[in-house]
Amino acid sequence: MLAITSVTKTYGSLTALDGVSLTLRPGEFLGLLGPNGAGKSTLMSLIAGLKPADAGSITLEGQPLTDRDTTVRSRLGLVPQSIALYEDLTAEANLRIFGQLYRLDRTTLAQRIEEGLRAVGLLERRHSLVKTFSGGMQRRLNLVASLLHQPALLLCDEPTVGVDPQSRNAIFEFLEARNAAGLTIVYSTHYMEEATRLCSRIAVIDHGRILADGTLAELLAHLPSTEQLRLTPSPAATAALPALADFGTVTTGDDFHTVALAPATRLSAVFAVTERYGLPSTALQLRRPTLEDVFLHLTGKTLRE
Amino acid sequence: MRTILTLIRKDLQLFLHDKPAVALTFIVPIVLIYIFGQVFGVSADSSGPTGIRIAVVNEADTAATRAITTALDAEKAFRVMRDETLDDGTVRPLTETRVRELIQDNTLRFAVIFPADSATDDTFGLKLKVLTNPRNEIETQTVNGLLQKVIFTSAPQAMLAGLRKRAEAFIGEERTDAFYRRMAQTVASSFDGDADEIYARMKADTFDFGPAASADANAGSTEANANNFGGFIDRIIKIDTEQLAGADVKSPAATRSVGGWAIMFLLFSLTGAATSLFDEKKAGLFQRLLASPVRRSHILWSKYLFCMTLGLVQLTVLFTAGRLMFGIDITTHFGKLVLVCLAASTACTAFGMLLASIAKTPAAAQGLATFLVLTMSAIGGAWFPTSFMPELIQTLSRFTIVYWSMEGFLRVLWQGADWIQLLPVLGVLLGTAAALNAISVYRFNRGNLFD
Repeated sequence: MLAITSVTKTYGSLTALDGVSLTLRPGEFLGLLGPNGAGKSTLMSLIAGLKPADAGSITLEGQPLTDRDTTVRSRLGLVPQSIALYEDLTAEANLRIFGQLYRLDRTTLAQRIEEGLRAVGLLERRHSLVKTFSGGMQRRLNLVASLLHQPALLLCDEPTVGVDPQSRNAIFEFLEARNAAGLTIVYSTHYMEEATRLCSRIAVIDHGRILADGTLAELLAHLPSTEQLRLTPSPAATAALPALADFGTVTTGDDFHTVALAPATRLSAVFAVTERYGLPSTALQLRRPTLEDVFLHLTGKTLRE
Repeated sequence: MRTILTLIRKDLQLFLHDKPAVALTFIVPIVLIYIFGQVFGVSADSSGPTGIRIAVVNEADTAATRAITTALDAEKAFRVMRDETLDDGTVRPLTETRVRELIQDNTLRFAVIFPADSATDDTFGLKLKVLTNPRNEIETQTVNGLLQKVIFTSAPQAMLAGLRKRAEAFIGEERTDAFYRRMAQTVASSFDGDADEIYARMKADTFDFGPAASADANAGSTEANANNFGGFIDRIIKIDTEQLAGADVKSPAATRSVGGWAIMFLLFSLTGAATSLFDEKKAGLFQRLLASPVRRSHILWSKYLFCMTLGLVQLTVLFTAGRLMFGIDITTHFGKLVLVCLAASTACTAFGMLLASIAKTPAAAQGLATFLVLTMSAIGGAWFPTSFMPELIQTLSRFTIVYWSMEGFLRVLWQGADWIQLLPVLGVLLGTAAALNAISVYRFNRGNLFD
């Protein structure tokens, strides 16, 4: 569906994207995971045709996406990072304007406005001015505005920034339902929880480069271990560490010591050692690695840094 | 105290970083003070109007008419024109017929005509015609006052010189001379003067009749002073004033002023509408729009056409309000008025778009707009006649949209201009719009409005 090939984009001396390549199949839910300034929004802008790439190509359904080609662009929808709505107009008036830009006929547009507003729980507020909406409501309306023309590809650029948990959940459910109905989605975020929950595939991006790309399981496979044992520091824990080193890589810390267990490690053997050194179960924490660990492994820093 | 100083320092830093605010605080008032100063004579070495063009056709060519034209030449408010240069470079003296044409098409607004029978050196009395196109009330009143001053202070002397020559011709030089000597002695003994000096001045036609003549002339009084010298002058100098344009205008004062105010507010509203592009950018709306089948040109053209239509509607409403409140006649030439309104709103919109294209922030755009709109309104003639300003500013005023818009409104409403007469104004306004648009497009393509 979407093919990004060796795309580069620079702003002066700053390289925002450096030879990015990605492909997206129909129905996929791709997460672009990276910290602020990683190049997510720039990549989204290029895919949306808002800016031209300095090098490389982007095609949607085989057609090149450029900043001048409006025909192909009608096949995609963009949920901008900011709430791109006319706040002095009503929810319905906003949707009517955006729908008309896609030349939807009056009947179809009215039907889709009603469906969209109902889906995000805003039907009863259709005649309210957008500026009277809460941030979460505006985010939900922002989402509906991008889907009126039923695009083949939806680009969501951090669509839950500043959203309350209730609205965030509503947005997630809305997107999951649309994806289940066949909509292909690219979702940029720096929240690993969002990527973990929503995305069937995740591309980790930092400094304008795609560092890894795959399903969650595939990304976790980049890590040297699949599970970690954390020990609360104590004399007993310090004594046990040499023996635990037989099961994986040991790192010590002020808050906790970590044993990155080697693949296929038998947990019963590990717990036998901890029991032998008298470590109580409350001092132990068995933890599965997360995207955070993947990111840390790939970049040497956390997502929040 | 330290806390207060810190907070004051903070305010100062914020203020100095806000360049539009600095400009509005200092530059705009200075410019406006300068312009007002020029107009109302605040300036020490230069005050009042200068260079108001006034045609003089002297078909009589007597001592009195020559004296008046010489005095007109000396009046700094006027620039006297006696001839015109044709396209082929030849210079042709102005005639009354030609002057009437020039006044009717607003090339000139004032003229003094001395007909062939205006006066002779052998008769006493003077009649002349003052032709006007009182498009601007303040200017017209000022010119009328100045003309009366010049005429009533310069003509009597020359006329009395003529009277003396007639006396000499009638009773002989010797007896006239004796009369002057006795008269001089009488005046000297009555008013304690030097009889020889008075006699010499009488002979040289430089004897002053005293302040009464000029004072009464300045006051422009007629019947109230009929029994004094001023009243006498009024009776011997007959001025026929003829208004060549706008005579049929029903509400002259409102007709003159509505256009100026309308165009100033039009500029404010259209620059505001154009600079709303910044708000849309800030809200991220351009991202959404440009991700849809919308091009940059669509956004700019839609904004342009909206502002243009808004301007047309605004002007129509304002003139309609002028019709309802003051009886301005907008129906007689409604089609032409609409066309001028359209051209004016096109130019004003182009100006607003230019500001949006060159300003980097909404605050900068608004600050620049306030500065330029007020300045253009001041020097363009929206507030007071351009003829009251220094000639350099009068020249600059012709580079403003306000000037040409007002010119268009007055040509239609005051002058009842035909289509041919309107074409130059429409051409300037639309040409200005095209030029400003070209710059705007260039700037929008190179700027970061859509980034």
